[in-house]
Amino acid sequence: MSIWNYVVTAQKPTNVTHSCVGNFTSPQELNLIIAKCTRIEIHLLAPQGLQPMLDVPIYGRIATLELFRPHGEAQDFLFIATERYKFCVLQWDAETSELITRAMGDVSDRIGRPTDNGQIGIIDPDCRLIGLHLYDGLFKVIPFDNKGQLKEAFNIRLEELQVLDIKFLYGCSKPTIVVLYQDNKDARHVKTYEVALKDKDFVEGPWSQNNLDNGADLLIPVPPPLCGVLIVGEETIVYCSANAFKAIPIRPSITRAYGRVDADGSRYLLGDHAGFLHLLVITHEKEKVTGLKIELLGETSIVSTISYLDNAVVFIGSSYGDSQLIKLNLQPDAKGSYVEVLERYVNLGPIVDFCVVDLERQGQGQVVTCSGAYKDGSLRIVRNGIGINEQASVELPGIKGMWSLRPSTDDPFDTFLVVSFISETRILAMNLEDELEETEIEGFCSQVQTLFCHYAVYNQLVQVTSSSVRLVSSTTRELRNEWNAPSGYSINVATANASQVLLATGGGHLVYLEIGDGILAEVKHSQLEYDVSCLDINPIGENPNYSQLAAVGMWTDISVRIFSLPDLNFITKQPLGGEIIPRSILLCSFEGISYLLCALGDGHLLNFLLNLNTGELTDRKKVSLGTQPITLRTFSSKNATHVFAASDRPTVIYSSNKKLLYSNVNLKEVSHMCPFNSAAFPESLAIAKEGQLTIGTIDDIQKLHIRSIPLGEHARRICHQEQSRTFAICSLKSQSSAEESEAHFVRLLDDQTFEFISSYLLDQFEFGCSIISCSFSDDSNVYYCVGTAYVLPEENEPSKGRILVFIVEDSKLQLLAEKETKGAVYSLNAFNGKLLAAINQKIQLYKWMLRDDGSRELQSECGHHGHILALYVQTRGDFIVVGDLMKSISLLIYKHEEGAIEERARDYNANWMSAIEILDDDIYLGAENNYNLFTIRKNSEGATDEERGRLEVVGEYHLGEFVNRFRHGSLVMRLPDSDVGQIPTVIFGTINGVIGVIASLPHEQYIFLEKLQSNLRKVIKGVGGLSHEQWRSFNNEKKTAEAKNFLDGDLIESFLDLSRTRMDEISKSMGVSAEELCKRVEELTRLH
Amino acid sequence: MEDSASYPSDSNLMATGASKFLANLPSRGFLSSTVFSSNLGGMRVYISDHDTSPPEAQEIKTNQANILIRSLQLKKQIGESCSKNVQGPHSTDGSRKRAPERLLDGRASAKRNNSETGSLQEGSASCTSDKVFHCLTVERLRALLRERGLSPKGKKDELVARLKGVNG
Repeated sequence: MSIWNYVVTAQKPTNVTHSCVGNFTSPQELNLIIAKCTRIEIHLLAPQGLQPMLDVPIYGRIATLELFRPHGEAQDFLFIATERYKFCVLQWDAETSELITRAMGDVSDRIGRPTDNGQIGIIDPDCRLIGLHLYDGLFKVIPFDNKGQLKEAFNIRLEELQVLDIKFLYGCSKPTIVVLYQDNKDARHVKTYEVALKDKDFVEGPWSQNNLDNGADLLIPVPPPLCGVLIVGEETIVYCSANAFKAIPIRPSITRAYGRVDADGSRYLLGDHAGFLHLLVITHEKEKVTGLKIELLGETSIVSTISYLDNAVVFIGSSYGDSQLIKLNLQPDAKGSYVEVLERYVNLGPIVDFCVVDLERQGQGQVVTCSGAYKDGSLRIVRNGIGINEQASVELPGIKGMWSLRPSTDDPFDTFLVVSFISETRILAMNLEDELEETEIEGFCSQVQTLFCHYAVYNQLVQVTSSSVRLVSSTTRELRNEWNAPSGYSINVATANASQVLLATGGGHLVYLEIGDGILAEVKHSQLEYDVSCLDINPIGENPNYSQLAAVGMWTDISVRIFSLPDLNFITKQPLGGEIIPRSILLCSFEGISYLLCALGDGHLLNFLLNLNTGELTDRKKVSLGTQPITLRTFSSKNATHVFAASDRPTVIYSSNKKLLYSNVNLKEVSHMCPFNSAAFPESLAIAKEGQLTIGTIDDIQKLHIRSIPLGEHARRICHQEQSRTFAICSLKSQSSAEESEAHFVRLLDDQTFEFISSYLLDQFEFGCSIISCSFSDDSNVYYCVGTAYVLPEENEPSKGRILVFIVEDSKLQLLAEKETKGAVYSLNAFNGKLLAAINQKIQLYKWMLRDDGSRELQSECGHHGHILALYVQTRGDFIVVGDLMKSISLLIYKHEEGAIEERARDYNANWMSAIEILDDDIYLGAENNYNLFTIRKNSEGATDEERGRLEVVGEYHLGEFVNRFRHGSLVMRLPDSDVGQIPTVIFGTINGVIGVIASLPHEQYIFLEKLQSNLRKVIKGVGGLSHEQWRSFNNEKKTAEAKNFLDGDLIESFLDLSRTRMDEISKSMGVSAEELCKRVEELTRLH
Repeated sequence: MEDSASYPSDSNLMATGASKFLANLPSRGFLSSTVFSSNLGGMRVYISDHDTSPPEAQEIKTNQANILIRSLQLKKQIGESCSKNVQGPHSTDGSRKRAPERLLDGRASAKRNNSETGSLQEGSASCTSDKVFHCLTVERLRALLRERGLSPKGKKDELVARLKGVNG
């Protein structure tokens, strides 16, 4: 790989951190706004559910998200503050559908210690000021003037240093905050302050309350008429106001989030750390609070945010499991739960570990992640492309074409499947037992190859053979009419729809027929100068049975021509360029836009925008799908039309955001495809491949496909073993009954069914820390090695651990050897036929020794000290790269002769590492805990030892994501003929559920894209006025430096979503045609 | 009544407890259908190619004055305005003057940036500039006029009109 890297997101963040409800897009519309760390999703509440509106990338990690309504405004504004101390106020402009920046600013201070408990951003209910708690001991105020404009911000000193929560109180004549804090004796109290805007200072508030629950960490302000505040602790909930104090004991739990149900604040939903949802009720007589009630409602994912939407429907946002849409039922179900889950929204986060495997052995990587935490833990199989789920299959070699037929045009289901071979045509039909069996349609000619088949109006069927067109009744199955090709001519290609037939014979004759009740009428005949290679009259206009246009592909001049129907008038001609003839042509319409697709004999596909009225073709684009001729066919799935391109690399073409997208299908070499929507196999496809006919259904059409395997326990490490076809995971299961009892396991899973097939229970307090599959020198077996640590409550660092060596025998984990270590085994690597372990501050090498009795044991060979904690280790040849807890990356070498490990070089920066990977011999990649990526280079040509001993930082970039793991590999099939096929890639997984790709580019391409990126920055503006350059700049406590040698692929790929005029602008300043830019960027999108 | 509910002997009693509180959940007519259908993945990714910089004077900065010094200054001002009523208006005038001045300067630079971004913002700017000028004292207006090489004579309204004539 190289130092010029391109970082792009394959899976966007899925971790829901914040949510709020309000009238954002219009005074009448109610919106749910969800923050997923670096993105905001705007949904609309509609009668039938949530309607997604917009996915907004934010140049920052969202720390707070609030909706508020300034005086005199009809709809809500959105306040966002980011972790890097920027804030913005956004307004929706319904006319232009744009987000308008009402205000923005930088709220950082030069001095100040960032708060430990996260940033707090709150807005006064009467909209007098915005309050921010960003640094210990400081409260920042951004006042509003009376027109709703923001004024200069100022800081107020806050005496309380360990603040847990701050909220504004309702119903106060002066803006009043309530502060929950911990004193230096660890006791917790609340205090109120009035904010005096004139004096820019606090005034002692109306009340305070000392010595609360020791676990109190959440404040819920209660709106008028009750006012006051609820203080949620681990064992009690307290209602507190100037003149009332009511408490209620609760089952010990940590409340993670609350959602207010009623506008008057009498009911709240509380979600706890174990995923239980409670209803908290404030009972009151008039405006006097009489008590609190709490009721368990049921179980959900472990919440991070709760938003009551409407009509008993609640959005549950989760960081640890799938987010959910739930309904609160008035009556409990059989299990006593009032919660009904209506929908689940996939969340991959936190991705603690993952591995890249090729389970189907097709040369395409799949990522299997350890996702979720605690009870919501799961494995997720993430795959690029679309899967076909086989339902039935028969051996049928030599298929030349397939068509499905239905008895009449308004019948929803297909009954016949016509399969054509080189010298015969067979008809399959569903019998009463829902089996596919051969049948006959008497009127069809079955002794010759069929060129085309279609059902037609008046309950008829059409068959085109090389000599004639036959019209057959679908009820009597008898021939009703026939049109014969003139003698001496045979039909070469033909197409039809329900009321029209277009065919071409040798010599460039084009014949147009129309279908009546028992009539085949030749309407028009035309002679072209060359032979016709392909035709299409797929109706995409208003009439679903009749097309106004015909598309014709030509031999000899390699062009596409558009004719009008029924008069066969020539409209336009589009030369295709090159020498490859068009083999399949298709008129189709996606999301209301009409296209002409034209597939060439060499696996390329051209697409044009088609003007239905004038027949004009514009916006030519070319992509390479495979190497063999392509056959195009439309099919529909979930009420949307898609196109299947059958070839050696079958592809589904679909449209999203009015852009054509291409997704691989997990099949090899499909020669023909036709939709087969029968009652027994609804929305199925009939697929001819490799001598087989397969009926199957298709997955949801989307780019990445995610399959969930819920575990009910928290998987923390995963690895795959090819030989035994198994996965092994380290997991922990927390028993819900008693808090203390956690059980840790090593589990073996089948790599096809993902079922547990064997488990090994670790000791009490013993955590699985690392797992690998490896073999040793002079031993042909493959083992699973597991590194563990005894995490004792009284120890700061584990002082004891084990290395366990397992073998899989009869699908069982058999422990062969164990070795005690003097610390936690954070990492294991197979290294020169030995085992390299990172144990606390030490790197230790173990040999696999044969004992006299024939058994094996691990024997320590050599080691290397000199780390704080050696957490991450990667090896290449004799080199060992170590990622330290806080001392960045160092490079070690193993010396065979001396049997010793020595340090070669190190990076002297103080980076707290979260993951490392070796890109090539000289370049190493690291991720650290301030969400940055960096690359460092070994300096082997240095003149002095000092120079050689220093790893030079060559690339820096702010990813904005906490990376837990890098792995070499790719999510996509690598086509050897394409440019991107040669680009090496690394995949990463993050806490927010992001799966990303880092691709090493050739220098020339990097320079080109860097120029494109800087041009895009001028055109694509950060939402809320946030700067892309600042967002991507490397940033930690010590320094901020501009990103270098990394490119933001997400920004570059958004080029494809720009309007044509914007593209032209960029193409002008780049000096490269927009087509060329599109092509180059589109190529990059195929990296993920 | 309440006591019996808080010590439920079986889950049924508990159930009735929660049901009681789940009645009359707020509804505004959304999400009313019994069949829920979602279409995920159909979400449009927002790309903003319009100018996202905030309107004038809405790029918020923090007052950099030290908290202690600021409070001393504030106290001093209050003290002054209390002790000398005659001087009072002057000192507050001074602080008030500073704000519009800053507004003006900010506007001028914003204008430079805006000159190519379109006339929409221009319109709103000239509308507010009117107010800004009216906030200024006559002396300040005269100074501004002199800067622009215009006659500093006349009534306040005339001065404002003249200034607007140059800026608009």
